[in-house]
Amino acid sequence: MNTPQFHRRRQKAVVFVGLMLFGLLFFLIQIWLFVAVLERVLSGKTEVAIPAAIASSVVFLANLWMLRGLILVSKSL
Amino acid sequence: MHEALQEEFPVDWEDDHFVTRREFFKLVTVASGTLALGTTAMAIYSAIPKGKRSFEPAKICKVAAIGPGAFLAFSYPRPSDLCILVRTASGKLTAFSRRCTHLSCPVVYEPETRGEVLYCPCHNGAFSLEDGRVLQGPPPHPLPNILIEVRGDEVYAVGVASVEA
Repeated sequence: MNTPQFHRRRQKAVVFVGLMLFGLLFFLIQIWLFVAVLERVLSGKTEVAIPAAIASSVVFLANLWMLRGLILVSKSL
Repeated sequence: MHEALQEEFPVDWEDDHFVTRREFFKLVTVASGTLALGTTAMAIYSAIPKGKRSFEPAKICKVAAIGPGAFLAFSYPRPSDLCILVRTASGKLTAFSRRCTHLSCPVVYEPETRGEVLYCPCHNGAFSLEDGRVLQGPPPHPLPNILIEVRGDEVYAVGVASVEA
């Protein structure tokens, strides 16, 4: 019953869930960044906008990289 | 006819509503990209220099029409942009947007009771007549300064200065 193939699937399922949790966490960070920047730009304070945009872009690239990893993992199942 | 269609094109509703983990992650990534794009757009917008904004000059009034310690309401640059022209007790002419930056109540100039400030009666806000900065109360930003010029015996509004928070 518990073949090596079964264990491999279970391990990959953990990787899947881990990646998705990271993805969601990053997404929440991006929402927080967006709202913070929006509030500050509307109140005329713009000094945080560029660092926040860079951070948000980096988070997006990380999400993209994780999506690629997730696709590779799911193809090898 | 209906049964024949169902047999030829069966729709499995459970499968149809099933979202795979990969699809879900794709959706999260697209939303993440949208947020990154939005944040970048705001950063670009905030990086655009917003110095002195010039508009078509508009006549406000004759210099003699406003005495020391008095004010005059006018609109600039659009009819909905309420402004206030003040001649201080010392005779200096200055103009600001009339909308309080707190909740847009019109500010007033009452040197006898409030001193040399622009006062917002709604929540006791006060702005400096020098540069529009907040002196008291809840307003979060200074009042935008309206640039004026005296041409002959007339006062003209010629632009709107940027607001430095």
